[in-house]
Amino acid sequence: MAVEPLTGAAEQTRACYPDEEGYVERDGVRLFYEVYGSGETTILLLPTWALVHSRHWKAQIPFLARHFRVVTFDGRGNGRSDRPEGPEAYSIRKFAADTLAVLDTTATERAALVGVSCATLWGVVLAAEHPERVAGAAFIGPAVPLAPPHPERTVYPFDERLDIDEGWAKYNVHHWLRDYPDFLEFFVGKIFTEPHSTKPIEDAIGWALETTPQVLADHDAGIDLPIGVDFRELCGRVRCPVLVVHGDEDAVQPHGRGAALAEAIGGQFVTFGGSGHLPQARDPVAINLLLLDFVERLP
Amino acid sequence: MIVAADAREQTRARYPDEEGFVERDGVRVFWEAYGDGPTTFLLFPPSPISHSRIWKGQIPYLSRHVRVVTFDPRGNGRSDRPADAAAYSWWEYMADGRAVLAASGAQEALVAGICDGSGWALMLAASDPAAVLGVAAITPYVPRLAAAHPNYEQYSALDPLDAYEGWAKCNVHHWRCDYRDFLEFFFAQQIPEPHSTKQIEDAVAWGLEGGPESLVLADIEAPPPWTTAADAEDLCRRVRCPVLVIHGDLDNCQTRERASAVAELTGGTLVTLAGAGHLPQARHPVKVNGLLKDFADEVAPPAPKAKTWTRALSRKRRALYVSSPIGLGHARRDVAIAQELRKLHPDLEIDWLAQHPVTAVLEAEGERIHPASALLANESAHIESESAEHDLHAFQAIRRMDEILVANFMLFHDVVRDEHYDLWIGDEAWEIDYFLHENPELKSAAYVWLTDFVGWLPFEDGGEQEEFLTTDYNAEMIEHIARFPRIRDRAVFVGNPDDVVPDAFGKGLPGIRDWTEQHYDFSGYVTGFEPVADREKLRHELGYGPNEQVCIVTVGGSGVGGHLLRRVVESFPQAQALVPELRMIVVAGPRIDPATLPALPGLEIRAYVHELYRHLAACDLAVVQGGLTTSMELTANARPFLYFPLRHHFEQNFHVHHRLERYGAGRRMDFESDGPAEIAAAIAEEIGREVDYRPVETDGAARAAALIAELL
Repeated sequence: MAVEPLTGAAEQTRACYPDEEGYVERDGVRLFYEVYGSGETTILLLPTWALVHSRHWKAQIPFLARHFRVVTFDGRGNGRSDRPEGPEAYSIRKFAADTLAVLDTTATERAALVGVSCATLWGVVLAAEHPERVAGAAFIGPAVPLAPPHPERTVYPFDERLDIDEGWAKYNVHHWLRDYPDFLEFFVGKIFTEPHSTKPIEDAIGWALETTPQVLADHDAGIDLPIGVDFRELCGRVRCPVLVVHGDEDAVQPHGRGAALAEAIGGQFVTFGGSGHLPQARDPVAINLLLLDFVERLP
Repeated sequence: MIVAADAREQTRARYPDEEGFVERDGVRVFWEAYGDGPTTFLLFPPSPISHSRIWKGQIPYLSRHVRVVTFDPRGNGRSDRPADAAAYSWWEYMADGRAVLAASGAQEALVAGICDGSGWALMLAASDPAAVLGVAAITPYVPRLAAAHPNYEQYSALDPLDAYEGWAKCNVHHWRCDYRDFLEFFFAQQIPEPHSTKQIEDAVAWGLEGGPESLVLADIEAPPPWTTAADAEDLCRRVRCPVLVIHGDLDNCQTRERASAVAELTGGTLVTLAGAGHLPQARHPVKVNGLLKDFADEVAPPAPKAKTWTRALSRKRRALYVSSPIGLGHARRDVAIAQELRKLHPDLEIDWLAQHPVTAVLEAEGERIHPASALLANESAHIESESAEHDLHAFQAIRRMDEILVANFMLFHDVVRDEHYDLWIGDEAWEIDYFLHENPELKSAAYVWLTDFVGWLPFEDGGEQEEFLTTDYNAEMIEHIARFPRIRDRAVFVGNPDDVVPDAFGKGLPGIRDWTEQHYDFSGYVTGFEPVADREKLRHELGYGPNEQVCIVTVGGSGVGGHLLRRVVESFPQAQALVPELRMIVVAGPRIDPATLPALPGLEIRAYVHELYRHLAACDLAVVQGGLTTSMELTANARPFLYFPLRHHFEQNFHVHHRLERYGAGRRMDFESDGPAEIAAAIAEEIGREVDYRPVETDGAARAAALIAELL
């Protein structure tokens, strides 16, 4: 039985609603943010690839907001934020600058950053280049170019037309534009390799359907734009405490990338045995406790 | 009830890696350093009413994570006892701490103190901020700060009083006249938690090492460090590093107001331990160890270490088996139970937390020994060190093992916190059972407790004191089980209801038999081997002739039995005269040098016998101690035997004896009265005799495993 996301349905009841919300506008792009709680320490939950939006933190927000002030925002390309066009609009530098703008607008001098997957890219930029704003950083299932990708992901080119659309051949812009739901079902299935993950899969597909395949393609290309500095060198400049979590059954980003990131930064590495790419959705309790422990100990 | 203090230092769980003296103005102060962690934790002593051993519950655990430095206060322990009161000023104690830190080679350290020691630690932090990373102040004493305890304000400490009752004992005249009486009163007040006899005994003994003059000099005659509340507050405000204050709400020495003031003025955190007194590190070592470790991690984070958390449904089914090395007989039965358990759960992985000699059996069986086992403090060596000529006061030996038990529980706790186990099995693993009941929040898996006896029993020659102590230990155990029935998911008695002694736990407590039947399941006895089917064939295999009368003399693997072996050897010529076909084989065992036993013509002495249990099954008579395992092996194989319970070993004298009586097995001997002639006569009467013992079940391991398997 395939998972059938409830598209167009109203957002489900939240456990906790924001105390404050608003928009930040940068170069004509509006970004929607939310603030929860009033703790002394702020955690900023980073946006990741535009496949999903800030609701992917739904299992963390209510818990963390009882201990800290929590800031989230929808990354450009999904949720209530704008969907600008072209790869330039989705570069790593743009996401880093968006984050700084949200910090400024919410009057957050300094925050602990938490990100999943490719959010690590802008998270590391901020931690390395704006140490005064970043108290610590936790990265989950990091998509970082510090170790090879899964070999099966290197077989098919992304932007050439293929005469096959099985498996990772679905990770192809032409296929996305042709049959976006088919891609989503495949890809989100790869995100949640854990058995009994129907609800997280439905959620992710639902959020993905709030944007378009063209936005995702632009974002994909935007991530590949140069940041002007070697990523490994950037990692070496990070001085704040860093926590890296990676599932050893992550079918999207190999576990070795998390290990390499922790090594390059000198951070704490926690393996999630049996976990896939987004354990914050699939094993929220373990992730929540880990984040609480990590952020509480930050100097 | 007055408690006695034993002056012999008991076996430590951990000995220092380094020790030395620092000398300041001619006063020598003794220090010790443990471990090689990157961060140093300096543990200040308390006032000379005690010394550095007061940290014995912390040192073995903390030194696995940080480097621990301790020192004895001037006036007690191995430090000097200067005669001049000025040498006991608080500034001197603080300076001793600084000098010890320097001598130990540390540039900076976390520091902790108890009572006065907390004051000294705070002084060091205020005056030498670069050297102090953080202060853990346990039940802190800072003179003049907030309210002093009203206990000290009832009587003059200086004027002679008409009577020295209650807090009036806190008086220099009484100290000089009967210091022990003062110490016993004082520490009973400072450790007011029920069932604290051992901690009070320790504190009294350490106090006596210092003597009253040290306390007079330090507490009464030394110049005060400051004289106003403002000075005290100023000191606390000058402390800039992180501060943790631990306060017991039953503290009879320092007030809560004072603890709060320290926390508030230093910007520190106050942790209240409810129901705890003035010395929580002694009475609640597991909790305090956790607080100190967390504090150290926060102040000086250890280098990141990769960890794994495994999703629940991705976990393998795993059990951790903790097998006690005391008594030496648990290994075989535990292996048998583990093998039966695997038949019921073939996917079960079992790790063993165990030490020698249990590990020798486990290795031979190919069992998986958890690497942390190497870090266990040695229980067997402690038990041997407690023994005398055919004499082992087992109850006191276990009491005097308290430091080892805390250390080994902490190791267990580290292991199960870092790894996922579904089930913990403790075969007479006293540390696990006791500290889980004391710290029930630490239970995070199913837990099975196994034992072959229930109830600490006193000897008559221990008098009222021993009866009081065993009753107190039994009472605490009964309260633990009644209050936290969720801790033991299964309690398995290795035996049958009739094997339980008919005695009572003590005055006002239930009968042991009734209580045990209510709180235990019974597996029947577990021998850990199949009974011999064809004894003649076995004798032939082992080289015993059909006409030989084979007598095996063994004291198992313990070093306690040398005296018994010698006594039996002395009986050999007379026994030989009575039994001409006698072939006596004396097995010295791993811990007794066979060369120390007299060589007699015709007598065979062996250091080691492979598969001794087969020889015991084949022999015509065995001469043994009163341990359960060997005597029940002989019972199961229907062999006649003489057994000599160790003096003052309550388990051998009462529990095992009761069981053997029920089986109609063995002939009890008395090391006190039975000399070579009596032994020779008994050998002659018993050897080769057909016996009519009650049969021993062979399904005990399977029954125990079935009881355990339900939890998986």
